[in-house]
Amino acid sequence: MIAVQTPQGARPLVEVEDLVVTYGGVRAVDGVTLSVAAGEVLGIVGPNGAGKSTLLAAIGGQMRPERGHVRLDGADITRLPPHRRARRGVVRTFQDTSEFGRLTVFENLLVAGLGEQGASLVAATLGARAQGRRTAVAVARATELISRFELDHLRDAYAMELSGGQRRLVEVMRCLMREPRLLLLDEPTVGVAPHLSEQLRHEYRRIAASGVAVLMIEHVLEVVEAVCDRVIVMENGAVIAEGSFDEVMQSKAVQDAYLG
Amino acid sequence: MSFYIATVVVIFGIDVLAAWALNLQYGLAGIPNFAFIVFQAAGAYTAAILTLGPMTASSAQTYIGGAHVPFVVGLIASMAGGAALAAVVGAFAMKRMRADYQAAILLILALILNQFVTTDTSLFNGTSGLANITRPLGSLINPNSTGWQWAYAGLVWALCAVVLFVVQRLSRSSWGRALRAQRDHDAAAAALGCNVVALKLQVFVIGGAIAGLSGGLLVFYLQAWNTGTWGYEETLAIFVSILIGGVANNWGVIVGTFLVQIVFVEVPNLLPQFGYIGLVDALEWIVIGLLWMIAIAFRPQGVIPERRVRAARLGAGAPIRAVPGEPPSRAASRPVGSAQQVPLGAAGPVSGSSEQ
Repeated sequence: MIAVQTPQGARPLVEVEDLVVTYGGVRAVDGVTLSVAAGEVLGIVGPNGAGKSTLLAAIGGQMRPERGHVRLDGADITRLPPHRRARRGVVRTFQDTSEFGRLTVFENLLVAGLGEQGASLVAATLGARAQGRRTAVAVARATELISRFELDHLRDAYAMELSGGQRRLVEVMRCLMREPRLLLLDEPTVGVAPHLSEQLRHEYRRIAASGVAVLMIEHVLEVVEAVCDRVIVMENGAVIAEGSFDEVMQSKAVQDAYLG
Repeated sequence: MSFYIATVVVIFGIDVLAAWALNLQYGLAGIPNFAFIVFQAAGAYTAAILTLGPMTASSAQTYIGGAHVPFVVGLIASMAGGAALAAVVGAFAMKRMRADYQAAILLILALILNQFVTTDTSLFNGTSGLANITRPLGSLINPNSTGWQWAYAGLVWALCAVVLFVVQRLSRSSWGRALRAQRDHDAAAAALGCNVVALKLQVFVIGGAIAGLSGGLLVFYLQAWNTGTWGYEETLAIFVSILIGGVANNWGVIVGTFLVQIVFVEVPNLLPQFGYIGLVDALEWIVIGLLWMIAIAFRPQGVIPERRVRAARLGAGAPIRAVPGEPPSRAASRPVGSAQQVPLGAAGPVSGSSEQ
């Protein structure tokens, strides 16, 4: 089992320590330890059922680990519910797209932009002025993002009316509406048209360059190579290899896992 | 005839209030509150016991507490009663769980509570319920007159106007948007900072308060509170009103309530009885069940569907990047049906593209 560390000198923003997640009697994540520095993109690859999405869910708060810790900037967030992690800057996309189907594309972005303040009954009813200011900022940001991703003509479309790739873009744009410190991406380029997939890669690099730690599950090795600073390989819930893309691809453990 | 029409107007208004309350919970928040009628009943009971006066040894009926409070206080208390019960039930039932489990729990709760109240005569007077509840404003107008009927109808609809204003404001607020978001994908809403459990509990309590108010208005009108009136099937009729009228559309709910509660429930009472005794009543419920199935199969969005909130209404200007072949002002209102066929990236930068 490999304990994955950030490159020397880089301050880890996220530290996962000996994480174990069990469900249905299966140890989906089996003692994973890793860390990601601010500004770093860590790729997670591995065969289906390796425990990649479960690991992301335990870091994002969707699943509760049986053992181990998740730390963000030194603070233990292992037991925090997802919405409180989100307030600390943990933002994620899901393996199956998670658009709000009966909200328009624009509204999907506003929900993300306003976040906890938008969901506050008190802020929404009593603090109309402050909420108005926040909304104006979110509206401007959403308008700019929708334009950057060439979805202007769909801004008033219900998200359920979009294609799979477009839904994926909405999900990514929602993440960008927030100011993430840790971005968790579960297969973020699946179904996205090639030229926009290319744009997304630049986007992830840009986000990372602004000091965000990015953890990305990705099956397309070309994307992993282009975007990720480091890569970990998982099999049967455990990390079996870690290093740069080239190092990992040449690892015997990885070749055994993939080719048998 | 005028007396009868006033009765229908009163009942219609009360049913609309109830439907708006359930629409907040189900339409906006996706909570399948199959126990809805219980919260209406709780509001009604609260209003009843607070105006019946203290129970004495010679009282012909048993109830909890008892007081003589003014009508207005009784109405406010009915809201508090509905909200309080919703808070207690919601604290458990609004926890994160699948909607089908939630629906089952709430339906079972409605059945258990109805059974409990019906069986336990020491607390709620069993099947006899409560009677002799005083009609309000009796010192001003004869409570048995047609004039009183219309005055009460006016009061009910005035309250409807207030409640409509409140529910519309709530629905259109960022809070309402967050509720709709978690209705569509609760995990994603939580991952974006929304406290989903708190959101659901809040809307459950607000819906409970409006349900309580509708119950209070009903009990003052009927002058009686009887467990037979609060069966779970009454909840189903309100659900059908929402499904037919328009889920998450408060105007559509008025239409749905009119069609179900007035056309399909009230009008059959005017028809001559046929067949064996009770056949017309039974047919009424069969029709409501059929309406539910037809609505889901053919028009799940209802007669007046949920309103699309366009970006322009939220304060957004014209899109930065226009759609090819269309002036920017039209791009915002482009029909979505055609938008689906536009391939990604087809909308290249035509004008005003500020950055790439």
